Amino acid sequence: MRIAIDTGGTFTDCVYLQDGVPKVLKLFSTPANPANAVVEGLRRIQPGVNPEVRHGTTVGTNAVLERKGARVAFVTTEGFEDTVVIGRQARANLYDWFATPPPPMVPAGLRFGVHERTCAEGNILQAPSDSELERLCAAIQASGAEAVAVSLLFAFANPANERMVAEALDRLGIPVSRSHVILPEFREYERATTVVVNAYLSPKMGHYIRNLEDTVQKEFKGGQVKVMQSSGGIVSARLAAAEPVRTVLSGPAGGVMGAYHVARLAGFDRIIGFDMGGTSTDVSLVDASEGGPHTTNESIVSGMPISVPMLDIHTVGAGGGSLARFDSGGALTVGPESAGSDPGPICYGRGTQPTVTDANLLLGRLDPDMFLGGAVRLDEKRTRTLMEQTKGPVKHVEEFAAGILRLAETTMEKAIRVISVERGYDPRDFTLVCFGGAGPLHACALARALHIPRVLVPCMPGALSALGILMADTVRDYSRTVMQPPEVKLLEEHFAALEKRGHAEMKAEGLRGVASRSIDVRYVGQGYELNIPFSPKMLADFHRAHRQRYGYADEQRTVEIVNVRVRMVAAAEPVSLPKGKPRNGDGRQAVVKKRRVVFDGTARPTPVYDRHLLRRGDTFRGPAVIAEYSATTVVPPGCSARVDAYENIVIEVN
Amino acid sequence: MAISKVDPIELAVFKSTIHSVAEEMGATLRRTSFSPNIKERRDYSCAVFDGKGNAIAMGDHMPVHLGSMPMSVRTAVDALTLAPGDIAILNDPYGGGTHLPDITMVLPVYVDHEKSPLFYVASRAHHADVGGMYAGSMGPCREIYQEGIRIPPVKIAHGGEIDRGILAMILSNVRTPVEREGDLTSQIGSCRVGENRLRELVAKYGRKKIAGLIDELLAYSERLMRAELRKMPAGEFRAEDVMDNDGVTDKPIRIAVSIRFDPSTASAAIDFRGTDPQVAGSINAVYSITYSACYYVFRCLLAEDAPATAGLMRPITLHAPEKSFVNARPPAAVAGGNVETSQRIVDVLLRALAKAAPHRVPAASSGTMNNLTIGGIDPRNGEPFAYYETIAGGMGARPTADGLSGVHTHMTNSLNTPVEALEYAYPFRVRRYSYRPGSGGDGKYRGGDGLVREIEVLGDAQVTLLAERRKFNPYGLSGGEPGTTGRSIVVHSDGTQETLPAKCSVAMAKGDSIRIETPGGGGWGKPTKANK
Repeated sequence: MRIAIDTGGTFTDCVYLQDGVPKVLKLFSTPANPANAVVEGLRRIQPGVNPEVRHGTTVGTNAVLERKGARVAFVTTEGFEDTVVIGRQARANLYDWFATPPPPMVPAGLRFGVHERTCAEGNILQAPSDSELERLCAAIQASGAEAVAVSLLFAFANPANERMVAEALDRLGIPVSRSHVILPEFREYERATTVVVNAYLSPKMGHYIRNLEDTVQKEFKGGQVKVMQSSGGIVSARLAAAEPVRTVLSGPAGGVMGAYHVARLAGFDRIIGFDMGGTSTDVSLVDASEGGPHTTNESIVSGMPISVPMLDIHTVGAGGGSLARFDSGGALTVGPESAGSDPGPICYGRGTQPTVTDANLLLGRLDPDMFLGGAVRLDEKRTRTLMEQTKGPVKHVEEFAAGILRLAETTMEKAIRVISVERGYDPRDFTLVCFGGAGPLHACALARALHIPRVLVPCMPGALSALGILMADTVRDYSRTVMQPPEVKLLEEHFAALEKRGHAEMKAEGLRGVASRSIDVRYVGQGYELNIPFSPKMLADFHRAHRQRYGYADEQRTVEIVNVRVRMVAAAEPVSLPKGKPRNGDGRQAVVKKRRVVFDGTARPTPVYDRHLLRRGDTFRGPAVIAEYSATTVVPPGCSARVDAYENIVIEVN
Repeated sequence: MAISKVDPIELAVFKSTIHSVAEEMGATLRRTSFSPNIKERRDYSCAVFDGKGNAIAMGDHMPVHLGSMPMSVRTAVDALTLAPGDIAILNDPYGGGTHLPDITMVLPVYVDHEKSPLFYVASRAHHADVGGMYAGSMGPCREIYQEGIRIPPVKIAHGGEIDRGILAMILSNVRTPVEREGDLTSQIGSCRVGENRLRELVAKYGRKKIAGLIDELLAYSERLMRAELRKMPAGEFRAEDVMDNDGVTDKPIRIAVSIRFDPSTASAAIDFRGTDPQVAGSINAVYSITYSACYYVFRCLLAEDAPATAGLMRPITLHAPEKSFVNARPPAAVAGGNVETSQRIVDVLLRALAKAAPHRVPAASSGTMNNLTIGGIDPRNGEPFAYYETIAGGMGARPTADGLSGVHTHMTNSLNTPVEALEYAYPFRVRRYSYRPGSGGDGKYRGGDGLVREIEVLGDAQVTLLAERRKFNPYGLSGGEPGTTGRSIVVHSDGTQETLPAKCSVAMAKGDSIRIETPGGGGWGKPTKANK
């Protein structure tokens, strides 16, 4: 049995197939050791023999965000020890003299240089001496390092020196991350930070994953553990433990994959994913005609560039918990400060400053009795009293609340413009797929502002990430910087070497992978590349892609191949979602009450639907509110909602 | 203070939306431009103006363009009648520009057959070459005529049609016309993106409401600035500092300023009287540079998300004497005023401000961009090459924390070129790229350390340097020690060394290295034994 378990957030979500039908189990997470909830979930599901446990984890994410990883020693070519901290010598805040970046992951004293040098062409100019390597080992041992990151200049062009150094360090008995294995690509800073993050996570993640795998194997005969990577593909526990940098955004990647799969089944090939939580919102764009979700090699997590492939997810600091206040010039601002879980929004009973969630409650969009299935009662009276006191010069408290929502939505609208309009996509061609607790509250307003014609609230919105993990293929990415003219013969050798490694690794997992080849290409003199499938017409494809992305192309200009890439994919057995025949219905049976909800300054009597009582084919017009366990959907006047064959809610926005 | 008539929610939404128009123009420019200077180093700015030429939004791009963009728009609007579909082009530093490589385009936004434009949008980009004596147009010239093509405000488009004559005229005066044409075209594209979005906004809000929102946005920015100025102590605060030299003679150049605060009217008056006259070398600052530096410093007193509109500067007046080093007049050469002198003007302003509000400003930062140009013939392929980079230094210590090390401060924020990218592209071997320990000034809080960058040339090459703070240290504040001065050294292949002046051009032989040690930032507060 295949079971996906996602441990992000308050709940641990399990999705598994029972007689071909996906089932959901939700348990409270166990943050002290997330594996406890995983094992507890498995016990309740009773998966029988040979269970495949697919895990989405935030252990790595949290360690990076909270800077709670290992003490890492960084080893590089002598003279370049500081490059991992100097970065691109730019500052993050242009107009703030007091801004200080997060502390470096490798402080001075833990950065070590080796007298050695490889040049761009791969020739060894100087090899490290045995005596120096001995001294290096002693120094690192004395430093108290718990893991080592080795990234020598041009090690991707010829790894001989780096191998020598790393093998010497292996004697210390702590994990050693090697740049020519993790990321054999040029640009020393981004490579070094990637390898450092890997080392930073390797003791903790290694321990966590091995522990989980041991427990699963002990309790469930033939059990194996796999882990979701930030790239949207699954990998074995063993590889995940060795290369934890690939799992830093494991959970959000599951969400994007889930949204994409569900939307495709429902017939929508181009989607904008909109995942709004308590403190932040993730947006992403997927176009099936471009082969599915985009990965990027330019992610930055908590100030650290991470250059292994990750799904292209853009995050902004606006969520349900974002705080509203007036600035010294009298304008209302919302976020990026958040009420968090302590004190939380006013309506939870302890917070005193208004948040986006409070504004939703005050306008009637959230039902005080139906929040988390009634498990938490929202305090309407307290919210109204405190918002009256904080509404500043605004006349009516409803107006204040509506303003808070408008501002939060303006921030999210900007985020969606960044991933769509600014990259040459027209939002009118897309469907907005919303998830996360707060997504469906705001989706229709956002869709209207951006002229997105349609909103899809997926079936199983509370377990979309786990569903994405359940559906994901096994994926391994390999790359190498080659920096050479586009000569097919030379490229073939590089591809063959990467594929050999890929097939061997897949075989070791008992899988058969299919390799796909691509190249990163640019015009000579440029500092950025485009990824193009490797084929006889790759150059024509490059010029075309360049024109589409950057508005021009020049077929006379010399091009060069910067990187070669191989992606090995072992397709997962497809998961089909239960499909039923829609009948004509108006959803009347699901209306549990009527409530006054404010739209455009006017309170209107609005039916509240219980999502679990809705049936396939039910169609109704806004205004409407649809409540379910972990989310609330707002259907404004003028929009019309329909429950499709998969029990997704599809809202046409006018 | 009067409570605004427009409601605070509409204002906040409008502020955010109009800012996103400028950001989207910038994203378009970056996406469609050709040269690495725009795409990678991000040396460009985009902005939105009302029908009177007041800036109402600027993207978070280059600080040195903050005050000078509006002046370019003013110059274009005063000189030309811009009809629908027209676009003005200009780069004259004596007409709101910064230096010749920064070319600005201005497009009027007409809505519904109105007689006058409702908005203007502008985009500016640093072009890698605009002709003149030296490739890259940043060399040690004596007159602006040697620095490249000077473009007064002229129309590059009439009624939507590009003026091929003007374009050809510009392109035949630059070294890389194909790349220039690509970048100029993408500037036009970015203006059109701004135009479209503004028209959408007008359709959504209506003209009358937009006009009210613009007025309110300007008034709001003014209120933000006045709220800060009200907190300042009354009185006049003076400071001065000197630049090493102009690269022609070795005479130091003095910049002097006084800032007079009047909290009762919530205003400030800045006066550069006492500053030396303009100089023979190329580091003269034009008025718009000086204005940008003032704008930048006062902008930093506000919260990070304060909108960069014309309203911010309403409570502030600026006097810079004509033909002085901070308000040069033709035919002075100005290429380096943008990169070197702009930084020093900021540090002098901070020094004066520190006397009024010691806990609000950092000590002097490295005060130079260490402009390094290396040119020659690549022995690997026989092709000529020219490489330009700037090297960061130490940031001045803050009243609450050490200064940051090895970072671009104040008027620039361009990125470095990776060592591995450099060695692929040029006949160089980088020997060292590291912090320069101990170069930050000591203090209760230490100044940030500078950097060391050492590059060996693998063939004969010509090296041109435009740098500062080689003689006079970055100052400390409140008892903090000054930062260490910078050094530029040629290390010959036989191991002998030769120290170079701040500004020079020298020949290097194959196997020689140029080693740049950039200045550290000044310290803040008296050093205690504990942090020694």
